[in-house]
Amino acid sequence: MIQADLNIILPEILLAIYAMLALLAVVYTGKDKMAPMLTWLTAGVFAILAVWIGISGEGENIAFNGMFHDDAFSRFAKVAMLLAGAAVLVMGADYMQRRNMLRFEYPILVALAMVGMMTMVSAGDLMALYMGLELQSLSLYVVATLRRDGVKSTEAGMKYFLLGALSSGLLLYGSSLVYGFAGTTTFAGIVEAVGHGHAPLGLLFGLTFVISGLAFKVSAVPFHMWTPDVYEGAPTPITAFFATAPKLAAMGLFARVLFDAFGGVVGDWQQIIALLSVLSMFLGAVAAIGQTNIKRLMAYSSIAHMGYALMGLAAGTALGVEAMLVYMAIYVTMNVGTFAFILSMEKDGQPVTDIASLNMYSKQSSGRALALLFLMFSLAGVPPFLGFFGKLYVLRAAYEGGLAWLAIAGVVASVIGAFYYLRIVFYMYFGKEGDALDAPRSLVQQVLLMASAAIMLLGIVNFFGVDAAAQAAAAALMPH
Amino acid sequence: MNDGSILALVAILPFLGALMPGLMIRAGRNACASFTAVPTILALLLLGTQVPAVMRGEVVSTTIEWLPQLGLSASFFLDGLGLLFAGMILGVGLLIILYARFYLSGDDPMGQFYTYLLLFQGAMLGIVLSDNILLLLIFWELTSLSSFLLIGYWKHLPEGRQGARMALTVTGAGGLAMIGGMLILGNIVGSYNLTDILAQGELIKASEWYMPALILILIGAFTKSAQFPFHFWLPHAMAAPTPVSAYLHSATMVKAGIFLMARMWPVLAGTEPWFYIVATTGLITMVLGAVIALFKDDLKALLAFSTVSHLGLLTMLLGFGTKAAVIAAMFHIINHLTFKAALFMTAGIVDHEAHTRDIKRLGGLAKLMPITAIIGVITALSMAGTIPLNGFISKEMMLEEAAHTVWYNNPWIVPVLATLGACFSVAYSFRFIFHVFGGPVRDDYPAKPHDPPFGLYAAPALLTVLVVLIGAMPFLAEPLVTAAANAVTGLDTHPHLKLWHGVTPALWMSVIAFAVGALLLMTQAKLNAGWLRMPRPEAKVIFDAIIERCVAFSKAFARSTHNGVMSRYLAFLVVTTIVVGVHAYFTGSIAAPTREILPVPPLVWVGWLSLVAATWLVVSQHRNRFRSLVFISIIGLMISGGFVYLSAPDLALTQISVETVTIMLLLLALYFLPKDTPAESSTGKRLRDAVIAIAGGGAVAALAMAFLTRDVDSISAYHLANSYKGGGGTNVVNVILVDFRGYDTYGEIIVLGIAGLTIFALMDALLRGPAAKRLRDRAFSPDRSRDRHPLMMVVATRAMLPIAVMVGIYIFLRGHNQPGGGFVAGLVISIALLMQYMASGFAWAQLRQRIEYHSMIGWGVIIAGLTGVGAWLAGKPFLTSAYGYLHFPPIEEFEWATAMAFDLGVFLAVLGAVMLMLYSLSRIARFAGETINVAPMDHDPSEVPEESATDQDQKEGQ
Repeated sequence: MIQADLNIILPEILLAIYAMLALLAVVYTGKDKMAPMLTWLTAGVFAILAVWIGISGEGENIAFNGMFHDDAFSRFAKVAMLLAGAAVLVMGADYMQRRNMLRFEYPILVALAMVGMMTMVSAGDLMALYMGLELQSLSLYVVATLRRDGVKSTEAGMKYFLLGALSSGLLLYGSSLVYGFAGTTTFAGIVEAVGHGHAPLGLLFGLTFVISGLAFKVSAVPFHMWTPDVYEGAPTPITAFFATAPKLAAMGLFARVLFDAFGGVVGDWQQIIALLSVLSMFLGAVAAIGQTNIKRLMAYSSIAHMGYALMGLAAGTALGVEAMLVYMAIYVTMNVGTFAFILSMEKDGQPVTDIASLNMYSKQSSGRALALLFLMFSLAGVPPFLGFFGKLYVLRAAYEGGLAWLAIAGVVASVIGAFYYLRIVFYMYFGKEGDALDAPRSLVQQVLLMASAAIMLLGIVNFFGVDAAAQAAAAALMPH
Repeated sequence: MNDGSILALVAILPFLGALMPGLMIRAGRNACASFTAVPTILALLLLGTQVPAVMRGEVVSTTIEWLPQLGLSASFFLDGLGLLFAGMILGVGLLIILYARFYLSGDDPMGQFYTYLLLFQGAMLGIVLSDNILLLLIFWELTSLSSFLLIGYWKHLPEGRQGARMALTVTGAGGLAMIGGMLILGNIVGSYNLTDILAQGELIKASEWYMPALILILIGAFTKSAQFPFHFWLPHAMAAPTPVSAYLHSATMVKAGIFLMARMWPVLAGTEPWFYIVATTGLITMVLGAVIALFKDDLKALLAFSTVSHLGLLTMLLGFGTKAAVIAAMFHIINHLTFKAALFMTAGIVDHEAHTRDIKRLGGLAKLMPITAIIGVITALSMAGTIPLNGFISKEMMLEEAAHTVWYNNPWIVPVLATLGACFSVAYSFRFIFHVFGGPVRDDYPAKPHDPPFGLYAAPALLTVLVVLIGAMPFLAEPLVTAAANAVTGLDTHPHLKLWHGVTPALWMSVIAFAVGALLLMTQAKLNAGWLRMPRPEAKVIFDAIIERCVAFSKAFARSTHNGVMSRYLAFLVVTTIVVGVHAYFTGSIAAPTREILPVPPLVWVGWLSLVAATWLVVSQHRNRFRSLVFISIIGLMISGGFVYLSAPDLALTQISVETVTIMLLLLALYFLPKDTPAESSTGKRLRDAVIAIAGGGAVAALAMAFLTRDVDSISAYHLANSYKGGGGTNVVNVILVDFRGYDTYGEIIVLGIAGLTIFALMDALLRGPAAKRLRDRAFSPDRSRDRHPLMMVVATRAMLPIAVMVGIYIFLRGHNQPGGGFVAGLVISIALLMQYMASGFAWAQLRQRIEYHSMIGWGVIIAGLTGVGAWLAGKPFLTSAYGYLHFPPIEEFEWATAMAFDLGVFLAVLGAVMLMLYSLSRIARFAGETINVAPMDHDPSEVPEESATDQDQKEGQ
């Protein structure tokens, strides 16, 4: 019995053991000197796990009496998160090493956060949900303040921690209400207790607080306040990490809770999610226009993108979940590429984040400028790039889910949002003459930038099969 | 290969061809140009094979499934309208390739230019051939993208950059808006296939989503085709190389909007909104463009505004919604293409040869470059609408339509304005002729003008031939116009294009136009002075101002919401949560309360009131740390009292010991903190926060009240039933801790131990950093007590120690069946020890303390863990408890349970952790200059002199 359960969570166990062993090993040997090696090793472990989960996983396996689900949905999210995590780790290693920021804790904390995230997307129970969420959050709080001597970094991390703790409290409060009324913490039990149509008030309260807590984790408006500060304050490789895997994990968890536990009362949460979605899209679009710091800009961009992903969830249908997953996969790929570029933005060896430093970048490096142009157009959702198809997916899902107004709002927000992505392109192609950026040093960043840009164009042929996988994943989440 | 798949090939050829120039540029410029022309020629030939079928009225189509789940397929179809545009795109494309070969200078990267050009060509072809609106959208945005690259081709010109920026912002935003419109159309019809949509005109016009779809699509079309009020970007894009202007801004890209309106004509046109929006916009654009064009000195700007004007004309014709208007529009598309492309190329030649396009610096070129002059004059006359050139015919048709169009019950507005537009059109055309080619030869040209090589004028010359041919023999264009018009209207029409229609109102309007136009030109200098003085809205300025406003608004918005102030963030969070909770309350349903509210005795009132008062005092006095700590302890006390009152002695016991320990530790820590915290918020903010806090607290209280007054199934019955049976204890709370939830407790003590160790480690790190220096330099207040270890307290605590320890052991032992247990016992003994430390000083107490705290924590965890492992030996799961009874003669019966060993582990871990925290605090104290004492008290009564105390202090400090 327990043997079978353990087999199902073997990837998580192995990763956790790896993280702990690595911690011990490094503490007693070279400490920070081992950090670069450890970073690559961790990325390698991520990649191997991703391949393993992607290839070997099959069917739906439930462990620990429903606490943990290994199904197409969780596997989709896990593979995407692990690959994104690996990419972000390797592309930031060089940057951190040169600035003497690469501590050995970094890859280990990321690995632990990854264990938490993998648990989140597999959670079939409020306990597992909270355990995964907190393991991830606590690791991220520390990672956010990794640069302990930076005022911005520590301040941002402190705010993140306080707000995060508050939101965790909200989530717990909601969970306890749900438990109190459903009499069980498993999603399977909750969905029965909730029934169909309308949830009883107690459960409804629980649900709304759980949604509030989760909204913080996906940085949906109005729970987004930490995002710009943390994105700006944290060292760029860490910002890149924040922008990718954790967002996917939080979205995955969101979907799990809404569909696995509250799938019977779509009407009760649809309006709330739709509201979060529309607020996020608009705030992200409007507030980003005035930003000159590219990291802050990307923070608002991620807020807006979460709005679109939530639009998929708000649809409340299998197509909606599928759309959300496709959207998130595309979003993560775009962000890996964009941050690979941001990481390489340097002047005289110092990192710069002002978008004005991109002035006339196309003259200096036309290939990289073109790659960034692809990414920016894709982020803006301009055809023919992949980002457009992601938007199309969620817009369609929302429309068919009966939320035509939301779809229209999404289009309007994308028009507003296009402005700031395009502005970056303008700077690169038609800006004023200015000091040139340094030539890129890191081959890894270069490769990831180019690969991500190429995917934005080549992906439109058949999405590399991601849509089929997302479809299977969404089906796994629906009641059978 | 069937007919249909040829279309896909046609659309894809330019994209494949786009690779060519890059590869061939090494082989030389001629080879590069030739190889660029190959895919265009091929595509043109393939298209030619389809002409007979289209002329027969057939629709050639092909479908390749792409992403069916999104409704996207690579479908193409070709009808008359598609053929007209595809032919234009490829034909003019070919001429442009030829022209650009000679136009671009040796320094310009030609390969890059041709690559962009072919990309653009492919995108345009895609638009006109797509049978799927999503596919159309993709190509639509691709034209924006490639045109952006083409316009910005000359990166060294600042106005080029500005132009490209504006062009892309306007058309890009329009394109995104159009996506919305297209999606609505697709959803109304249930298919994204254009042929399906075109067949559902009635359904779409009847839909409630018709207006939003119409507006969104028209925004896309108007921005692309530079219609008022989006017309301003086109002239600014003129900084692009002339081949680009000729191709994009006269022949193809700006006509994409016209194409779209024509394509959607069957499903959108013919309604009142369509007429009023489209026709009016077209009319305004036509007149406005013509008027501005007259006052432009830059040749290309003049042509650009003239293009705007003609695009307005086309829009207006489509807006009329009549069959004849559509025929006129289709015909005018061909005519405008021929003369305007030629004119742009002429302007390019002039610029190329004379090195200026400023009309004020030109004149008399007819004598210097006669061939160019012939081309320019003929095409400009056509633009003016002069008989017998092609421009005349379509202009007459337009005026004819305008003459009997009634706008809002007024039959005069449209004809009058159309004639006005024509007047200015004549005027600027004449200006182009007379001010550039006419007049005397000057001697101050920036360069000596002469006719260019054949390659450069071949393309415009060919177009000029067409201008004359179509003018003389309009029936040549008839089949194409018929096919296109039939495709647009979906009706079978047989127009007869002819030069002379007799003396009609339109002819009179033309005559007036020529007369007024000539007059306007003659007075142009005076009018121009007036024009310059006139305050007129400059689109670029407005555009920049709008952008600036938007950016400023965004900045202000971001600053006011994300100003980094934590309390504001929290306010947002809490208010939202309250709102969400209220929303849940009003959307959900709740049963009526089922429980009576208990009577409240006076004592409870007192307790409750002091709880509220203390809470209020903590908040209002929080800046004084000591005072707020005192109030916090009152809250703790009241909560403990509450537990007692509600019959939870166990909780009360735990609460009060935890309360005591934490308050004591906090008091010790207080020593190293400033007495007050500074005020950071204004009264207004505090008021805001108070309101939010009261609302939040009230909401939680209401929620709790709602639950407490209703019956809820709880798990306590299970615990009550199984506590003795399964866990061997009658104290259910303790059994829960050590048995039911033993695993939790096990985790808990580990966490507690880690917390103690972490505090220790943190202090250790802290005291090695800059904080240690600050502590050492710390100035103490002069009025410190000199009697830190008062006699009374020392004696009292010492006497109390054995009693307290006894109590601790008692509590520990009775824990399984009565209130108490390892956790409380650990705390009680901690308190006893804490008091020793406080009373007699740390060092003194430390010397008498034999067990190290680190290992105490470790032993605690190990004992608890081993207890759990013991269960494995008995073949049970981890931490399964067992119990039995021992009989000692004096005491009757003594129960033993494995849970007791576990409890011992808990006890040790708690004690160790608390003491380790204390130890950490004392380390700071010593850093801060606190002296350590070895004697039990500062004032030993057996020693008399006062001054020795200070000596002793100093000695101890060593």
